[in-house]
Amino acid sequence: MSKLKLNNVSYRYEKSSENVLDNVCMDFDAGKIYTIVGKSGAGKTTLLSVLSSLARLTGGEILLDDQNVAKIDRYRFRSKYVGVIFQSFNLLTHLTALENVVLSMDISGKSFDTPKKELALELLGKVGLSADEAKRRVLKLSGGQQQRCAIARAVISHPSMILADEPTGNLDAETQDEIIGLFKMLASEGKCVIIVTHSADVAAASDVTYELKKA
Amino acid sequence: MYIIKNALKSITRNKLRNILIGVIVLIISVSACAALSIQQAAEAAREDTLSSLNVTAQISFDRKKAMEEMSKNDDSDSDEGFDRGKFDFDVLQGSSLTLDDYMKYTKALTKSDGYYYSGAISLDATGDLIPYGTSEDSEDSDSKSSDSQENGNMPGQPPQMDSDSSKSFGMPFQVNQGDFSITGYSSSDAMLSMFGEDGSYKITDGSMFDFSSSDYECIISNELAVYNNLKVGDTIKLANPSYEKETYKLKITGIYTNSDSSSEENNRFRMNDPANNIYMSYKAFSKLIKASEKADNKTTDSDGNETSAVLSENMAFTYTFANVENYEKFSKKVYDLGLSDDYKVSSSDLQAYENSLTPLNTLSSTAMWFFFIVLGVGGIILITLNIFNLRERKYEVGVLTAIGMKKAKVALQFITEIFIVTMIAMIIGSSIGSAVSVPLTNTLLANQISSSQSSQDKVNDNFGFKNDKSDSGMSEPPQGFGRVSSAVKYVDSVSSASNIFVILELALVGLFLILISGLAALVSIMRYEPLKILSNRS
Repeated sequence: MSKLKLNNVSYRYEKSSENVLDNVCMDFDAGKIYTIVGKSGAGKTTLLSVLSSLARLTGGEILLDDQNVAKIDRYRFRSKYVGVIFQSFNLLTHLTALENVVLSMDISGKSFDTPKKELALELLGKVGLSADEAKRRVLKLSGGQQQRCAIARAVISHPSMILADEPTGNLDAETQDEIIGLFKMLASEGKCVIIVTHSADVAAASDVTYELKKA
Repeated sequence: MYIIKNALKSITRNKLRNILIGVIVLIISVSACAALSIQQAAEAAREDTLSSLNVTAQISFDRKKAMEEMSKNDDSDSDEGFDRGKFDFDVLQGSSLTLDDYMKYTKALTKSDGYYYSGAISLDATGDLIPYGTSEDSEDSDSKSSDSQENGNMPGQPPQMDSDSSKSFGMPFQVNQGDFSITGYSSSDAMLSMFGEDGSYKITDGSMFDFSSSDYECIISNELAVYNNLKVGDTIKLANPSYEKETYKLKITGIYTNSDSSSEENNRFRMNDPANNIYMSYKAFSKLIKASEKADNKTTDSDGNETSAVLSENMAFTYTFANVENYEKFSKKVYDLGLSDDYKVSSSDLQAYENSLTPLNTLSSTAMWFFFIVLGVGGIILITLNIFNLRERKYEVGVLTAIGMKKAKVALQFITEIFIVTMIAMIIGSSIGSAVSVPLTNTLLANQISSSQSSQDKVNDNFGFKNDKSDSGMSEPPQGFGRVSSAVKYVDSVSSASNIFVILELALVGLFLILISGLAALVSIMRYEPLKILSNRS
């Protein structure tokens, strides 16, 4: 049984007559890394928005463990089931890296055995941010450090799916390898990792690659 | 919990904006506290004054109503407009109520209420007795004229009018022309305003006459006693001003002093000089009137017309009430007991009480208007600031909702921020407002009284009346017939203004500000879509 299943998913922007996504069918399993590739404008980011419930389908359905996602509260879905790593990170710049991660834990509403700060520092350490860097304002971190922070924020509440939009787009090759390593680690923990990318390296590192073509 | 934590962080992060919001709320809360305190002070002053008010009432002929009815009749009778010559002054004076009438209406009183009464006439000096203030030049001069004049009556004393003589001249307010004012009182209560705690009278020699006795006994002023070398136990002889052979002998039981010295200017007529006021029991006074009625003397003028010289008393009957409610019940019930609609029940105490609160009420009203304007303008500024604040923090809303925070929770965080800032500003503002409200109220009240006083003085000045100031600093316009207004003792200070009600009202104001600001936040947040915000940002 697929973790996530897309059945004839369609999406059209408001005031537009053309579908960006047209009858898309995909299956995603737990413990694997998926990459979605395609030309610009093919609808990769839109697909990610649909998968994270930021955009509402105009057709078809998405099933999470055979349950229609449309029937799950989308805020609850985003805070508990999905961890999203945005292309532009979308971190709260007035907070520190640590605070961003802890805030995500708060929003999830989940309970943790260890104090949240301690857990967040541990995870930030795992993604390559030192305690000192974790306590810096996000704006004072480099692009790579912000990306790591965004990854930490996405995975801290143990979602079953990780959605990442161009997670290595602004990173140097060394950092890109480290980030791919992180995703592999998450997949090995049983998570379903879906990555939208232009990078052939990232696609090569994934278990399955879907190519989106313009509808 | 994290919502409060985030709200606090956000407040400290946006210090300048929150200080600006705080200052606006502070201004609103200071003005609200001051205005509500003034209103509360006015209410407290009203209740305090009312609780200590000895309500008295009189039944009197309703001249205003009679005038209006006469005017209506005049209009219906003639198309040529108002004809002053057709006015019937006898009608305007109304028929006097008798003691029996007044007593009948005491049935409308409750057990805690009471009554007293007095009657007054004017008598002439006869024999060796000389009225105080008489000089050789002025003796037998204008004191017997019939001009309208100042009313020098003491409190509780009936007006000095001789209805018979006034009727003979066709004038409504013709006054008596005797040398002395003789007043009979029913009880000590009737003289309480004179000899009571706040009175200016004191028996310095002898004693008060017996209220239950009908013997011709009286008390006279120290000035009159000295002037005529009289002492307690002596007898004075007085005559009917219309019939000199009708005389009465009164025995002096006491001599009083009056700390309110008589004013030459106010006493052009001897009987109006307080020194020429003679007081006796109403029983003795009534006996004197009956004696005059029995004698039934008459005078004949040069045309041979015969006029009755019987002494006619002017009666003042006062009902006293334990509280205003009793007065109001009485005012309705007397009509059920048969009082004609031509008569009205009125209380000068209540009128004076209302007048005393005028500056405070005006100030309260002005303060409330000011408060509503500040609240309105402040509220609009707060809404605008919050809308700008939200636009500025749109990205934050987008991120929070994108990572799964419900819009309602985001709105709650924003409202919590507004709540904290507003509450802090309200507490500071209320403290400042409470501290300044009493001195501010008293200063504004002083200005208000001064303003009221100035306009009243101006009116009196225009009428040519003298504006007096008493030692207490209270307004004391001159008294008497034809004056623009009576003396008003304004409530000129408040001791405390803020209380639990003011605090509760301020809490409501704070809640209102939070609601209107929060509503702006709520509406804006609910309209935002995270995908759009983040796409635009990207």
